[in-house]
Amino acid sequence: MSETSWQPGACAIAGIGTSDFTKKSGRSDLTLATQAVLAALDDAGLDASAIDGIVRCDMDLVRHNDLAEALGIRQLTYWGECGPGGVAPCAMVGQAVAAIMSGQASTVVVFRALNGRSGRRYGAGSTATGQQAAGGNGSYDEFFLPHGLLTAGQMFALMARRHMIEYGSTEEQLGSIAIACRDRAQANPAAQMYGRPLTMTDYLSARMISEPLRLFDFCLETDGAAAVVVTSTERARDSKNGAVRIHAVAQASVPGTQPGMMFPVLMRDSITALSSRAVADLLWSRSRLGPADVDVAQLYDCFTITLLLQLEDYGFAKRGEGGAFAADGGIGLTGQLPCNTSGGHLSEAYIHGMNHVVEGVRQIRGTSTAQIPGAEVSLVTSAPPPASSALILTADR
Amino acid sequence: MSAAAQPDRLTPPPLAPVTDDPDTGGFFAAAADGQVALRYCADCGALLHLPRAYCYRCGSWNSGYRVVAPRARVYSWTVVEHQIHPAYPVPYTVALVELADEPAARLVSFLPGRPELYAGQELHAWFETLTNGSTLVQWRPADSQRPNEEVS
Repeated sequence: MSETSWQPGACAIAGIGTSDFTKKSGRSDLTLATQAVLAALDDAGLDASAIDGIVRCDMDLVRHNDLAEALGIRQLTYWGECGPGGVAPCAMVGQAVAAIMSGQASTVVVFRALNGRSGRRYGAGSTATGQQAAGGNGSYDEFFLPHGLLTAGQMFALMARRHMIEYGSTEEQLGSIAIACRDRAQANPAAQMYGRPLTMTDYLSARMISEPLRLFDFCLETDGAAAVVVTSTERARDSKNGAVRIHAVAQASVPGTQPGMMFPVLMRDSITALSSRAVADLLWSRSRLGPADVDVAQLYDCFTITLLLQLEDYGFAKRGEGGAFAADGGIGLTGQLPCNTSGGHLSEAYIHGMNHVVEGVRQIRGTSTAQIPGAEVSLVTSAPPPASSALILTADR
Repeated sequence: MSAAAQPDRLTPPPLAPVTDDPDTGGFFAAAADGQVALRYCADCGALLHLPRAYCYRCGSWNSGYRVVAPRARVYSWTVVEHQIHPAYPVPYTVALVELADEPAARLVSFLPGRPELYAGQELHAWFETLTNGSTLVQWRPADSQRPNEEVS
């Protein structure tokens, strides 16, 4: 790991916003993005004229100039994008910090918008037909799609099975993660699963999707958007709700990272550890903090197994013991590491990692619907494949 | 042998692989000849999997395909129960296998139904010729006699 001159807390999040979370928004991706950004600007007490930078996710349909035009931004001096997909959000915040620290922008909007249910459904797999050959052009899909490996869920099922083989993890342990997230959503009226509690019996009797993963091991599909406003901590202190310090941010890949978008990560030396383990090393180093210092975490949860693996990658549980950590209440409200307090992707909404950043800010402000009393160190992660990012938010006090 | 992935006439054929990619085409050319081949650096012997041209280890551009034993072991698997694509009617199984000669190299395979599998189980390659003439390397348990034997 290379030494870098990261400056803890030089920048901060000044505003947060989301749209509503639905299955059928009836609105364009651009309208959803605009609503979330306007909410974030209002939360910060800023006008769109204050924005001179935009960072987007590579899978977003909304381009920086689409959003700039919709908001009436006079001039952008910086724009950027990160990816692929869910890897991006924490790294997008990092890119905003980089733009601000290098003097390329002063106030940057970071957003994600998608009609993930009524529009393009990521769980639908490849749309290729028998008439089109799959793969090529560096995708490496020719090694996977023709064999019926078609979706992210199927790939994470292979990882979950392997974790069971190596460590004896159980379906009930995965279920405990789904239930913990669902429990948190019961306090969050904005969550798609608000008012729909989940028991272990419900979990185990739900239909199998790709064994060993069942229906509730999968995240939601959501139409919605989320956004944050990043600026210098000094400027953020003047905003309506004050500054939440970006204490550290990290993005990292692993040796032997493998090419392609998704499936090639199955070729790595281990499929029961994610690139998150490399992010963790960098994040703890930059923040001079460790797992024991974290008060609350929003761990990327496209699937239950993804959260389980990160418990180990970030050092909250020993290798192989992430499932037991969760099943023993470790991720609950009174556990060692309260996780996904808005309900996460499994039960609040799937905004591809961006709603996790918003909830991480709420925990520092003390405004979560499942508030951890006195939370001062808030971890947010964005996860693979094929690389990862994370950030630590702290209180400005 | 393509019948294995076409349980009935209404099922469209499996997705065909791109076989003329400059980096990966050699794998499918070998498969068409009934062989499993991996890409290696011809100078230092480094395994270049998934296949690409440049050797990260010694800096050589001199790489090519070498035939390996058509034997593998089960590394992981998933039984797909939720229908995604009409060419792949559920239930079916996707196995992730590690090659016997080269455990650092993995491939995936389609198996019909819900076969009994276990980690480390021995597998043999078979070669599925698709209707467009391309060939897939598939794997089945070493004790299985027929390619389309379905255990459910």
